[in-house]
Amino acid sequence: MALPPTIPTSFIPQSASAAARRFRTDFVGAFGFFGYSVLGVIFALAIGVFFYGRILAATQVSKDTELAKAEATIDSATVLGFVRLRDRLNLSTTLLGNHVAFSGFFKLIETILPTTVRFTSLHLAVDDAKKVKLDGSGVAKSFNALAVASTEFAAGGLIKEAVFSNIVINKDDSVSFALSAMIDPNLIAFLPSSAIPSAFATSTASTTISL
Amino acid sequence: MSSRILPALALLVSIGIFFTYVDPIWSGPIAASKAAIASDDQALAAASRYATQQNELATARSAIDPADLTRLSSFLPDSVDNVRLVLDLNALAARSGLSLSNINVTANTASAESANVSASSVGSADLSLSAIGTYAALKTFLGGVEKSERLLDVKDISVKGSDTGVYTYQVQLRLYWLR
Repeated sequence: MALPPTIPTSFIPQSASAAARRFRTDFVGAFGFFGYSVLGVIFALAIGVFFYGRILAATQVSKDTELAKAEATIDSATVLGFVRLRDRLNLSTTLLGNHVAFSGFFKLIETILPTTVRFTSLHLAVDDAKKVKLDGSGVAKSFNALAVASTEFAAGGLIKEAVFSNIVINKDDSVSFALSAMIDPNLIAFLPSSAIPSAFATSTASTTISL
Repeated sequence: MSSRILPALALLVSIGIFFTYVDPIWSGPIAASKAAIASDDQALAAASRYATQQNELATARSAIDPADLTRLSSFLPDSVDNVRLVLDLNALAARSGLSLSNINVTANTASAESANVSASSVGSADLSLSAIGTYAALKTFLGGVEKSERLLDVKDISVKGSDTGVYTYQVQLRLYWLR
């Protein structure tokens, strides 16, 4: 009948130094295995790093060459030509949007100003904020004519803040005046489709403005 | 005895190799090479995009009528070229029936700002002139200026009347060019 493994086969006790020696032997073996394993891994890593570095260096050289070829195909004059064309198109669009055309003002003033009112001097100025100022002086045949002119300016809305000043009644009952006003920028905005009527270039006999 | 020293020595050698070769090479030349390659890749991608865009732009530009491109160059020329402009204005005035005098050009620094465009891209100058003529002649002249192939903005105009029907005008024009 076989004995169970838990029952000692000998009654002679084992010495403690033998167990410690076995433990030490196992530890030394494990430590040795660990040390050599780490060394092996580090060697493998070092070799890997070495070859990886070489591969990367070769790749970089190849990319640099490719990039140099790509750069060589770029013509700076062509680029400059495109940039200037873009700038010219964009700036032209912006400038054309701000283009000033006083013809619209003259066309309006010819329409709304009574024939009995005339300017003797006129000054139109556009400032950098695109505000248009009108200063002028003139003579009206009568006070009523001047009143009609004032009403027309107020009704149109394109000539704003019209202030008639220095109103003097002359000996012939005509009225001298000075005018200060602001002009709606839309009135002097350039419209490509707006053509100047041919009549403007031929005669002003039928116009209502006279200078 | 050697069974314990050699593994310890192996560990020390491993640590030495790691800190004297693997780590410096990894964080030095290899990192630099990787960064350079990434940069090259970006540049190559940009070069590829550039080539594509250049072809597209060339196609778009060739689709524009060369005559329109010439007109565009006249509209916003590459230089001030005010002498030719004065000649053109003189010719326009003559056709309109105005007589020009006292033409003067002054550089302008605030124009670009006023036009809401980049000050570094567009230059401007103010051209002032005096003229004598009828009102109809003035309107014809102004119409010509407004529709001039070269962009000209009237910034200031003064008219002084007379009983003869011939008036005196002071006109200030602003001209532009692409810098």
